[in-house]
Amino acid sequence: MDARPIEEKDSWFKRGWWLLALIIASFLAPMVLSEFYLTVLIEALVMSLMALSFNLLFGYMGQLSFGQAAFYGLGGYTVAMLVTKAHFNFWLSIVAGVLVAALVGLVVGIFCVRLRGIYFAVLTLAFGQLIFTIVFKWHDFTGGDDGIQGVFPPELLKSPTAYYYFILIVFLVSAFILWKIIHSPFGQTVVAMRENSERTEFLGIHLAKYQLIAFVIAAAFCGLAGAIWVPFYRSVAPSYLTWIKSGEPVMAAILGGPSLFFGPVLGMFVMTFFHAWVLGFTVYWPVVMGALILAIIFFLPGGILGFAQEKLKQRKERNNQAAKK
Amino acid sequence: MSFDILFSQFMSGIARGALLFLVASGLSLTFGVLRVLNFAHGSLYMLGAFLSYSIWNFLLMPVLGFYLAAVIAALIMGGVGVIIEFGLLRRLYARGWPEQLLATYAIILIITDLVKWAWGGQFLSIPRPKPFTGAVLLFDFPFPSYNFFIILLGLGLVVFLWWLVYKTRLGDIIRAAAQDREMVSALGIPIPWLFTWIFVLGAAIAGLSGAVTAPFGSVALGMDIEIIIECFAVVVIGGMGSLPGTLLGSFIVGQVYAFGILLKPELALAFIFMVMAVVLIIRPWGIFGRPER
Amino acid sequence: MLLETQEISKEFGKLRAVSRVSLEIAKGDIHAIIGPNGAGKSTYFNLITGYHRATSGRVLFRGQEITGLPAHRRCRLGITRSFQITSIYPKLTVYESVLMALLAQRKETLNFFSSAKKFFKEEVWRILEDVGLTDQAKTLGDSISHGDKKRLELAVTLGTEPELLLLDEPTCGMSLEETEIIMGLIKKLSAERGLTILFTEHDMSVVFGIARRISVLHQGALIADGSPEEVRASEEVQKVYLGGSA
Repeated sequence: MDARPIEEKDSWFKRGWWLLALIIASFLAPMVLSEFYLTVLIEALVMSLMALSFNLLFGYMGQLSFGQAAFYGLGGYTVAMLVTKAHFNFWLSIVAGVLVAALVGLVVGIFCVRLRGIYFAVLTLAFGQLIFTIVFKWHDFTGGDDGIQGVFPPELLKSPTAYYYFILIVFLVSAFILWKIIHSPFGQTVVAMRENSERTEFLGIHLAKYQLIAFVIAAAFCGLAGAIWVPFYRSVAPSYLTWIKSGEPVMAAILGGPSLFFGPVLGMFVMTFFHAWVLGFTVYWPVVMGALILAIIFFLPGGILGFAQEKLKQRKERNNQAAKK
Repeated sequence: MSFDILFSQFMSGIARGALLFLVASGLSLTFGVLRVLNFAHGSLYMLGAFLSYSIWNFLLMPVLGFYLAAVIAALIMGGVGVIIEFGLLRRLYARGWPEQLLATYAIILIITDLVKWAWGGQFLSIPRPKPFTGAVLLFDFPFPSYNFFIILLGLGLVVFLWWLVYKTRLGDIIRAAAQDREMVSALGIPIPWLFTWIFVLGAAIAGLSGAVTAPFGSVALGMDIEIIIECFAVVVIGGMGSLPGTLLGSFIVGQVYAFGILLKPELALAFIFMVMAVVLIIRPWGIFGRPER
Repeated sequence: MLLETQEISKEFGKLRAVSRVSLEIAKGDIHAIIGPNGAGKSTYFNLITGYHRATSGRVLFRGQEITGLPAHRRCRLGITRSFQITSIYPKLTVYESVLMALLAQRKETLNFFSSAKKFFKEEVWRILEDVGLTDQAKTLGDSISHGDKKRLELAVTLGTEPELLLLDEPTCGMSLEETEIIMGLIKKLSAERGLTILFTEHDMSVVFGIARRISVLHQGALIADGSPEEVRASEEVQKVYLGGSA
């Protein structure tokens, strides 16, 4: 489950082609897909952003956070409240959503990074639940369990196709930024902390500080995901912040493979379509999710991409052995 | 704010602390020995509560029904504990903590839906069992006598655990295993067997705690996450894997909750978090916990 | 004098691992700390690097008190250690590991947008050449031989551009050949880079082969301190060691 930022040259090269093809395909998607599938695709992209930011903490930093939905929800609620109650500018509201999520991430992170491993995970769940409870109970401010309705995007983005392009661009830019961060010296430090935290500390790195920065970055992008989703769905509710919702990026990451940058995206796409299909005949999604997590742990430990990577490595080794003879 | 109200709240805090200790002790025991944090501990508590309701509803025995249902629920949850430990966790001891946490997280999801499917979204409760149906006057303030039952149960558990951990051979093994697992294994003591028993004990206690919660009228979906969060606060404050720490943590969280309700009911959880936050800043490994180094 | 400990002690409960050790490490020196197993050598190291907090006593570096400073701060000041059980990055390549050290040292780690692999190429290769790991540059840390892991340890510590290098049993588990290589390396680093080196060892041939000054610990206390000849001649030391390596 370990990702490495600096990959070998030729694998990057091979990766470049299919990425370009996918990006082109994604721009052409609205012309081919029905509105229903476009909606699912939009949801997949938004949640993939959430999954990517989660994987910064999981695949790269080696920590499990079960509270990311809190930041996602806060981003969404900020936009909802600013747009409906303060009639704030849409674009600035999105920025505000990111900032609120990042700020709360900073406050929560300060406490969480004092511990690591299991304790860190526990605290993220606890704080996530605290934030959910506050949003749920503060009826006067957040609307409580009614949520907030009537969140409309500007005229320009009212049609699904237009909003799709908006989300696609936000997703691509965000993914690019995250990619840059992971391949930067900061990203290398984060990975080094995971690989050997003691050693890294002895190199002069203040571990908690870097964990906090990574935590805030992840919170910010989760907030962005929530902020861009809510105007599309036209409403927000406390269910955006539950511990079950927090599990979705976790599952996407382990399904797709946390050791590769795009693993969580693949996992989230599979999961979103699978989720839509399951909801077609049952409301019991959590038990399916739980069973799937267990299945991945036991049968597909590196996720889909991790599994594929292993197979490729094995084939390469077999070819090497054959060539030696 | 007169004295009797304060004392009454203090006693409520003790009762709540006792209940928390009932649940959190299983978590602490499991973590101390198995080094696995069972995220799903709250789910076992919830399942125990729902089960006890159904058993009570089925037995329809006037006085004994409640107690019998509680005991049976605890035993069933012990059985569930066997399934979880033997069928699932055992295969994950060799893998890292992320897999263990993910697996127990998956169990929460599964149990939550199981409860939803079997009992629907209802709010259930059992009437207070005799002889604890009325209230007792503490300085002119009525205090539910059922709370005394909870406190007694909590004390009973403290005594039982103290006896188990400090006065029996099993306890010696438990304490040794908490310190050095390999050594205990090298001494020829079958570790897997020990782990299963500890986990089962924890699960049974969780189930029992859930069962005795039913008369408080709060058996519903979501009680799993509610209680596990409070248990986390308890072990963060008191120290992970330390039973004395869990006792102290339970007491503190119980009091904060009771007086938090008095001040501003919606923020009771937030007050608990504040205390937890303070502990995290001053002493991240908890009052009785041991630092990493 | 680069480093000084004054009456430094470390207690673990009732166990006194290090007992009032006062020692001076001179700049540019190759200084060995020896003693039987359990003498407190590793704990003493830990007190210098900040891994453990001293129960009493002081540590001074370049004349300034560092007793209360956490480990990562002391590293910034120029004190680096290698670990007895090699503490490398299993899933990073040899190149990346050394690069990481340099990134930390040159304070580039808060750079979020440049590509990490473009940094410090010359410095990394120079270090890899010095320790002889250039042909392993692209190999993962956990795939190299034990001897190479030790060299990687050394390379990583060099990446932090230290003034004082603490080596905990640098030749532990090595063959005769590998030991010779490491000895030569230590001498070279001292001469060419002006490093002050403090090391612990069980292998007396290494100790007497490269150390210019030797201190002897026994049951946490300092029982001898001087040149190799002085230490060899000391009766106390002979009593403790009974004329052989521990």
